[in-house]
Amino acid sequence: MIRESAIRIPFRYAAGGAGSRFLAALRDERRILGARCDGCRRVFAPLRSFCSSCGASPLEEIALGPGGRVEAWTARADGTVFALVRLDGADTALLHRLVGLPGEPRRGMRVRARFAAERRASILDIAGFEPEEGASA
Amino acid sequence: MSAGALRRPVYVSGIGESRPVPRDPRAIPEMVLEAVQAAYADARCAHTDIDAVVTASVDLLDGLTASNIAVTEVVDAVMKPETRISSEGLAAALHAAAQIASGAYDAVLVVAHAKTSMADYQGLTRWALDPIHVQPLGADFLACAGLQAAMLADGDPGAERRWAKVAAERRRAGNGTFLIPSSVEEILLSPVIAAPLREGMCAPLGDAACAVVLTAGSAAVRLTGVGWDLDSHALGERDLRRWDGLRRAFARACAVAGMDPRGMPIDLVEPSCFYPHEEEMFRAATAIGERAELSPDGGLFAGTAPVVAGLSRFAAAARGVRAGRAKRALAHGAWGPAGQGQAVAILQAGA
Ligand SMILES: [Zn+2]
Repeated sequence: MIRESAIRIPFRYAAGGAGSRFLAALRDERRILGARCDGCRRVFAPLRSFCSSCGASPLEEIALGPGGRVEAWTARADGTVFALVRLDGADTALLHRLVGLPGEPRRGMRVRARFAAERRASILDIAGFEPEEGASA
Repeated sequence: MSAGALRRPVYVSGIGESRPVPRDPRAIPEMVLEAVQAAYADARCAHTDIDAVVTASVDLLDGLTASNIAVTEVVDAVMKPETRISSEGLAAALHAAAQIASGAYDAVLVVAHAKTSMADYQGLTRWALDPIHVQPLGADFLACAGLQAAMLADGDPGAERRWAKVAAERRRAGNGTFLIPSSVEEILLSPVIAAPLREGMCAPLGDAACAVVLTAGSAAVRLTGVGWDLDSHALGERDLRRWDGLRRAFARACAVAGMDPRGMPIDLVEPSCFYPHEEEMFRAATAIGERAELSPDGGLFAGTAPVVAGLSRFAAAARGVRAGRAKRALAHGAWGPAGQGQAVAILQAGA
């Protein structure tokens, strides 16, 4: 015998100080914020409150992109394309989606953030990264 | 990095498994009971001989918070010190080994279980990713594996066929119960599920349980080296082309075993590779060459279950040492997105 069930419990995830600042900048300023650790000379994307290498906190906030390069991409059967995008000015890559692709993407391809028209302080305020004008896909 | 030898010898006295199948109709406790009873029979012991229990299970997979409550009775943890590890079964074995090495207990039962047939496994793994920056995107562990494979396949046009060959070769060596493509051509024709990964390349996931009895008292197989490591959760912060966490875990295990990793005196290797590109990363991180026998029973490619995979590799390595096929064997476990968590155990012939 099988008992069918489903867990439907709404959750409220606190984004934290740096996370909230990151989401608010997406929503209100269409800016992608990162963090620089002066000690490690490393720029993290997205914004974070402490350095994962040395523990320094807080870190200097800086704007990244909105352009960048595709470090890796993977396509699902439903057509969704996930990618690691290295934003201009960042040392780490941001995981997101690729959209508006005229063909198969390629590693190293230039892309640019496309912001959603309606923004709700979510990572989905970036609708995805699309090929930069003039970039060959 | 420093790691000393285990303060007290640790032996593998018993092994029991419930064979991986696509869908086990039994309840979790029944499936687990089969593995535990087999391990007791193998160790020639009874539950009264067991001092403590370490279980490995993941609430999300079991659809139950504190999923160990489902198995407390069948693992004989009632009125005993039980620890639950919410990651890989091999990590549970290494914690049990630490309990014995410290002198706290003389006999510890280790149990890992998972039934992926209960729900959409990849769907569940979305809830194991960063809830603010990643989860809303809909990415899951499979997407993470696809991104890692893409990094490795870049500029390597032979990768796809080579990976299909690895999956085909391992699958032929195993005798799994999963209906999956087992020839290179069939695998290359199977659907792309996370480019460049095709369905046929991946280890099929089902239901399984594994149990191991570790003791301070001598047995034919001795656990001499243990090491584990956790890399950054964010894929973008790692060099995804490498399993650096495994390299560190392996170095720690070698140090505990008093072994020179460049000497390579390991003759049986049982890696936890769910995808063929992981086997290549495993070889690179451990520098294990072609001389060692690798996954002679097909490893995970014949069918496995998450959580159980690494402990089942531990069991396979122990069987190899016990049968005299290997003097020294390595078992590996990996968990989290794109192998964030890594564990290594080194086993040697007795006393
Ligand atoms: Zn730093």
